[in-house]
Amino acid sequence: MKHLWPKSLVGQLLLVVALMLLLAQGINSFLLYRGAQTQNLVEASTSAVSRIAFGLDRQDNDRSAQRRGTARTRRMGQIRYSSDSAVTADMPRLPELETRAGQAFANMGIGFSEIRVTSLSNLTPEMAHHVIGANRGQWRDNPINRSMGVRTSPDETTGFVIISAKQVDGPWVSIASAVRGRTPVLVRTLLLQTITIYLLMLIPLIIFGRYISRPLKSLTARARFFQPGETEMLEEQGPPDTRELIRAFNDMSGRVSRMINEKDVMLGAIGHDLRTPLAALRVRVESVEDDEDRERMIAGIEDIDNMLDDILSLARLGRSSEQTDIVDIRSLIETVVDEFTDLGNDVRYQRGEKQIANIRETLVRRALRNLIGNATLYGEVADISVEKSGDMLMINVDDDGPGIPDEKIEAMFEPFLRGEASRNRATGGSGLGLTLARAIAREHGGDIILKNRENGGLRATLSLPVG
Amino acid sequence: MTNKIHILLVDDEASLREPLAEYLIKQGYKVQQASDASVARSLLNAYDFDIILLDIMMPGEDGLSLCRFVTDKTSIPVIFISAKTEETERIIGLELGADDYITKPFSPRELVARIKVILRRMEKGSAKQVDTAGGAYQFSGWTLKCDKRSLIDAEGVSVSLSTGEYHMLLALVSRAGKVLNRDQLLDITQGREAHAFDRAVDNQISRLRRKIEADPKNPEIIKTVWGGGYVLAGEVKSL
Repeated sequence: MKHLWPKSLVGQLLLVVALMLLLAQGINSFLLYRGAQTQNLVEASTSAVSRIAFGLDRQDNDRSAQRRGTARTRRMGQIRYSSDSAVTADMPRLPELETRAGQAFANMGIGFSEIRVTSLSNLTPEMAHHVIGANRGQWRDNPINRSMGVRTSPDETTGFVIISAKQVDGPWVSIASAVRGRTPVLVRTLLLQTITIYLLMLIPLIIFGRYISRPLKSLTARARFFQPGETEMLEEQGPPDTRELIRAFNDMSGRVSRMINEKDVMLGAIGHDLRTPLAALRVRVESVEDDEDRERMIAGIEDIDNMLDDILSLARLGRSSEQTDIVDIRSLIETVVDEFTDLGNDVRYQRGEKQIANIRETLVRRALRNLIGNATLYGEVADISVEKSGDMLMINVDDDGPGIPDEKIEAMFEPFLRGEASRNRATGGSGLGLTLARAIAREHGGDIILKNRENGGLRATLSLPVG
Repeated sequence: MTNKIHILLVDDEASLREPLAEYLIKQGYKVQQASDASVARSLLNAYDFDIILLDIMMPGEDGLSLCRFVTDKTSIPVIFISAKTEETERIIGLELGADDYITKPFSPRELVARIKVILRRMEKGSAKQVDTAGGAYQFSGWTLKCDKRSLIDAEGVSVSLSTGEYHMLLALVSRAGKVLNRDQLLDITQGREAHAFDRAVDNQISRLRRKIEADPKNPEIIKTVWGGGYVLAGEVKSL
């Protein structure tokens, strides 16, 4: 059921309108049907009333004819004379029709002490001979129990109205009148009407819906792929509400871009303003006599510089001015690996098949450097391998360290969080290494995944789309 | 002591300029300090300098503009000093004719090493070396681009080089056919690694071969010459 529910704005709008229209049509048809039915009853009872009046009139004639000896055989006609009413107490009465009949009789100068009117779908046997208006036999063979109104042709008998009236000092006169079904052919009418209305309403609605949803769609696309610094405004289109929304979005993206620009300017300034005193410090450190002290100070300054570098690169990421190049990944890995082996780390890589990717080389080098740096920090040996999986190139950096508890792996990508719980500087870098590496990988359309290896140690995989 | 090497140090930050000048003086150089470009210009008129250390980011006329002036009018080598590490800026600096580029914070020893390398080059008359102005060399299907310091193979794929490898390759390519011994190669390229030694040359050569030779064990491009030297074989086209 759920998947039948349309997801788009226009779809939902259309569905609701369609359902509501259908409901309205149903109610409408029901009312029409009821109206037609009442009308049929009124017609039938009117005919019965005049028949009774006519019958009584003829009875008078018959009586005088009798007196005059010209009596004709009294046709036991359609009027039934009886001491009790043909409308028995258990039959539903139709007060409205009774009032009408009373008025009609009064208009014709006929007075009755009581008038009862009922409608039946089928006649009692004793009333069977006292029917007017029915096609012969039809009402008998074809009781109206068939679905009312659904399949009847316009002129079929759909029931009977019985009028039973008590003469002031005489018997009850009763007559049944066939109700001619002229109820509309509901289903077909309903369908036709509904289709017409749908065509009239839904087509413009679809067009209008498109008019609303197209700008929404482009707004969605813009919001999804929003790049700070984008100066091109989204065209304001659609109805005023939507235009307002687009204007608000344009304003917002402008604000975001400005904010990010300010941030960049600020970070640039921080970078510059921190590096200059750092450089001054670095120069002054050279005059420290004690070798050990000096080396420690230099290492400290280098740490700060690296951290600054990480922070600035992370902040500038996505706005790098470096263009992409198609790079032989083997040589890239070798270059980074050599940096580590030069420092005495055990980092292994066996040059394999040529693999190329379209990347910003300095950034990817940096990401890889961070991964290998982690591997050498937490393990003794780092082993680098490359495999191709579909259209992704996977650079695996395996270490023989203790690994990371599975539940903590994702947290490793949080900025300033390191494997060691302590923030002891002696144990690691800025805490931005993995954050930055992942950000770089993702900017290239790849990712970084950490996984504990079966035989112990951690595998960090840098994936890149093949160029 | 008149043949002391004379350095012009241009930086608006006194906090860096002064200790750096002190350090350089201690290393046996003669140093003039300028806090901005206009002071630097007047000093340039007054003295003969052997090398200029130039900060890029300065209020007023910046280092780039001053560098353009210097390289147009004189042949004094320039080393840029900058806090920025963005790749593009390095390229701009080198395109403007600066001889080298060092980022803050830097090791003063490395700065001195680079000064020495450049001055040695100047002495040998190979001036302005080859690492300038977007030049490129073609050899054995490879293209070495100086502006981006990149090496491109026959299929247009960029092969990544370390700074040391780049300088080593550039030294060999720009002197193709000429046998260079380890000392010469160190002379030309040293400066990056302050503590470079003979072994470092062999190491870098073998890394270069791994990257560019079809069969690194039987090198066709960088050949070893009996007696301890290397030569770049094959034709080199300078673009």
